[in-house]
Amino acid sequence: MDLHEPDRIPFMCQMSIGHMLQQLQVCPTEFWFDPDTFTSGLLSLREIYGFDGILISLHGHTTGWRDRIVKRAQSENGEFVSFNDGTKMIFRNDDLPESLDNSPPKPSVSEVNIKKLPCPLDYIPISQGLHFKIDPRNKFGVIETIVRKAGKDYSIHGEITSPFDYFLDLLGHQEGLIALIDDPEKCKEILSHFTRLVEELAIEMCRTGVDAIKISSPFSGAGFISPEFYKEFVVPYESRISRSIRKQGVHTYLHTCGAIGDRLDMMFESGASGIECLDPPPLGDVELDCGMKVAQHRGFIKGNVDSVNTLLLGTDEEILSDAKKRIEVGGKSGGFILSTACSIAPKVKKEKVLLLRRAVERWG
Amino acid sequence: MGIKEDFDLLANAIISGKHIEAGTLTSQLLNGTAMPEEILEKGLLQGMEVVGKRFKDNEIFLPQVLVSARAMKAAMNILEPLMIGSGHKPKGKVLLGTVKGDVHDIGKNLVSIMLQGSGYSVVDLGTGCTTEKFLSGIETHNPDIVGMSALLTTTMVYMKTVIDFLRSHEVSIPIIIGGAPINQKYANEIFADGYARNAAEAVDLVAKILSERRTT
Repeated sequence: MDLHEPDRIPFMCQMSIGHMLQQLQVCPTEFWFDPDTFTSGLLSLREIYGFDGILISLHGHTTGWRDRIVKRAQSENGEFVSFNDGTKMIFRNDDLPESLDNSPPKPSVSEVNIKKLPCPLDYIPISQGLHFKIDPRNKFGVIETIVRKAGKDYSIHGEITSPFDYFLDLLGHQEGLIALIDDPEKCKEILSHFTRLVEELAIEMCRTGVDAIKISSPFSGAGFISPEFYKEFVVPYESRISRSIRKQGVHTYLHTCGAIGDRLDMMFESGASGIECLDPPPLGDVELDCGMKVAQHRGFIKGNVDSVNTLLLGTDEEILSDAKKRIEVGGKSGGFILSTACSIAPKVKKEKVLLLRRAVERWG
Repeated sequence: MGIKEDFDLLANAIISGKHIEAGTLTSQLLNGTAMPEEILEKGLLQGMEVVGKRFKDNEIFLPQVLVSARAMKAAMNILEPLMIGSGHKPKGKVLLGTVKGDVHDIGKNLVSIMLQGSGYSVVDLGTGCTTEKFLSGIETHNPDIVGMSALLTTTMVYMKTVIDFLRSHEVSIPIIIGGAPINQKYANEIFADGYARNAAEAVDLVAKILSERRTT
């Protein structure tokens, strides 16, 4: 991350929750809620795969989570959990949990009252309306535990979510994207609100001793918005957060899924220390050599093995050859971490991930 | 101003995503001499064709497509009641659904928008669709094509379950698939009749399949 030439190319992947569950064979409900199960799971996975670092994708676990549950029932589809506020969820062993309640209606952009938006930030938007609640009394307990147990030996990364993701979560994806055209100034007010809160959260996270913070921004690629909109609605807000993190002496990197080739330059201009993902074709549009050219001396790249077409569907030979090629391209100078582009998919076998480990040991 | 210019104005309102203007122009054309089918063909579909092409060529992006679709919908809300019973037929009927276990619908919704904007009728079964839901949807709506979507690598495998189930129930209509982790190789493996990388390609694929079926 410091752009120095390392002894060996570092190796570290982010994993989908489904993949973690498949490998650990732990109760999905416990893994989602319980800080001890979550931290020990991440530490075990690092050991299993020989990663050089640990990404802590969730934080703010509450120790009193069991008190909220009124009923748990196993079924062939997963564990159904009923909570004391009347809500219900299903926890599967190969995927994120899913709410079984009707989603509350989303406000239109004109209905949003900035003064009534969440403050302070007490949730992480995960996917399709799924939130992870942040316990204000224990915002970073899991991070502190992992830093204490593994921080001396491995690179520890926290994660925050882009204001653009909070914005789309607030309005819904379709309405949010339409609002960028209908009322750009109001959208910017909302983005500024979330930026201030995410920035505060990130600065607090820096004090836990993490080496880097990933800024998750999955919906700001070309599959969603133009480079012009990226410049207008994403760059100013993520830049502010990146620069605040860097001022704390902590590295930060941007994670945006899909096609990002047309905005790589802007991503590096944002002040982040690096970029993650760079989905290669067909999922995205960035080949590693192009990415490394843009990155040169400006930041590191963490990527970009295709988690689906290579790791899930490829043969052992194809995986090794793909990893070797990336090590050759990325290893010419410092600033490269071998990783999957996006998260390791749930059904990827352990042995396939270990081939990547073997590749960095042999060629890295 | 002639009626051709009026159709062009309507098409431009669709292209630029001006939904209020699209509604007003549609009403004005109806109050003149234009028939609803003519307004659809020469104004709305002309506009959406440009939108589809620009989207495919990366000249415009999702927000612009969404506002164009909203403008199209504003006009269709006026036209549709008048077209019922007029004998107007859409280019074809497509049944869409995101497969069981998957709650993601952005891609599927976009395919729906682009198909409707290209003159197809769409029945959207929503997310988390089981084999039975697809079969029941086919029996109820008699579509020309079924489209399945999945965002997750865990749920994409259910597409094969659906295809096997539908074929075992003697459903012979084409089944096409799409979604972030899907590719042509996977479509071939599970015997899908087609794969589209994105919503604009999905429209082309539907047109191609229906055209081939009509000529055979």
